[in-house]
Amino acid sequence: MKDTIWKICCITVVVMAILTFTPVVTPVGKASPEVFGMPYTMWMGLLWTMLLVVITYIGTKVHPGFRDEQ
Amino acid sequence: MGKSLLIFGAIYLGALIFLSYSNRSSKSSSKDFFLAGSNIGSFLGLFTFAATLFSTFTILGMPDFFRVHGVGAWIFIAVSDLVMVFGILWFGYHLRTRVDKSSFMGMAGFMAAVYKARWVGYVMFATAFIFLIPYVAIQIRGVATFLDQAFPDSVPLWVWAVGLVAIMLLYSEIGGLKAIIYNDLLQGIMLMIVIWIIGIVCLDRMGGMSGMFDQVAAKEPALLSVPGPKGLFDFQFLFGSMVAICMIPFTQPQVSCRLVIMKDHKALGRTAMGLGIFAILVILPTMFIGMYGAFNYGDATPPEFLGNTLLKDQSGPIGALVLIGLIAAAISTADSQIFALGGETRSLLYGEDKKMMRKARYAIVVFALLSLGFALVSSDELVLLARASFAGTALLGPLVFFGLFKKDPSLFKALPLLTGICVLILVGANLGLYATKVAGLRLDLLLLGILTITSLIGAATTKGSQM
Repeated sequence: MKDTIWKICCITVVVMAILTFTPVVTPVGKASPEVFGMPYTMWMGLLWTMLLVVITYIGTKVHPGFRDEQ
Repeated sequence: MGKSLLIFGAIYLGALIFLSYSNRSSKSSSKDFFLAGSNIGSFLGLFTFAATLFSTFTILGMPDFFRVHGVGAWIFIAVSDLVMVFGILWFGYHLRTRVDKSSFMGMAGFMAAVYKARWVGYVMFATAFIFLIPYVAIQIRGVATFLDQAFPDSVPLWVWAVGLVAIMLLYSEIGGLKAIIYNDLLQGIMLMIVIWIIGIVCLDRMGGMSGMFDQVAAKEPALLSVPGPKGLFDFQFLFGSMVAICMIPFTQPQVSCRLVIMKDHKALGRTAMGLGIFAILVILPTMFIGMYGAFNYGDATPPEFLGNTLLKDQSGPIGALVLIGLIAAAISTADSQIFALGGETRSLLYGEDKKMMRKARYAIVVFALLSLGFALVSSDELVLLARASFAGTALLGPLVFFGLFKKDPSLFKALPLLTGICVLILVGANLGLYATKVAGLRLDLLLLGILTITSLIGAATTKGSQM
């Protein structure tokens, strides 16, 4: 199960990295909708980085090599 | 500000000397001096990674980048850094399991060993040297310029630069990597405190988050989206930057050696996690400072903007803290880079340890002097020069990963040979000998693409995989 979660983490990060360069995160010339006054790319980028931290945290718990060490 | 600067400066220098002296390498082996005994826990690991990665580039370069190019700078650096952090977890494990901790001295020596050819180590070392020396130089120049502006009638710029290099050399040579790591702890904390103090002041003066973006929108709406007013943040720039930044832990020796010297894999995991949080926290206030600058100093030169925002608009004690924080940020990165080049030199030297270590320590002094010379003639484009450094060392990525994942990388020596050629081509472009774009494609991306495809061909045509 943990191996599967680890693979999902890796795939999610790769997909998120690719999506960063699409209008999902970086629409050209578009600043709306705003959240807490922040333009779209800023709050979406911030959300993206927070999600990446969460995935990294999960990754530290399920990484196959780290479990072997335990 | 003079009195505050004296007080903070004395405290900082005192702490620096205390940490260097109390953590100096008592045993005089290369392993202790260059790799701090290879037993670093997650707390120290976090701060030494952070202080090495986030430098003058962060405290001076990023606010200016946000000011000139807008919020796309967050994607350029923060998102890229967070993908890199996951990469540390993912591929850092493979690096740690592949290297033999007992014999590892540096990435150049490691590559020479896995490819079974010393010249491959030289390719690795030469690339790191070519692209790290300018990076070190811009750290020194950035702070020296700033100090020169803060005290215009005191001493010439070169005196500040010499002073910074002297401090850096002194504690590196006395204490080795262990002293650098403990000083990184001090410098990482200082960087975080200083950047947040200035960030909050700027945010407050702009009327909070909404007020800040409303005012910037009224002045220059193109700053609030990509590609920014000058069109810098296009797909190629952002993609190329992310790839180059993700390669840093494996292609820049000052970071690679920190991956290897962590106590265990779990400590590395905790460090990676902490580094992600640190990255968000340290880059966010640079956005506040940049937006403040975009509104108040939109047409100013970078030194004018930084001098006004970080010093003149602040109270005396805060200005003094900024100066100390800047010095700390610059030397914490520059010392690690210079020191790592010394470690790389050591990894390529064979012979009696004490003798070789002495040679490598002399090399550190030579690298520091070269950086100093370059600092006095380089330009003020901090972020773009730093990016050129990332992009240059990123060309080593396919070589390193092939070496990590292939059972016998020595069967495919075309890759290191081609890597050396690609590095030379990129150096030529950076020197302005020819265009940096080929048929609309950035040359660094094109070369990295060629090397990646070559490594994949090598993986398909030679035997044995490590994965």
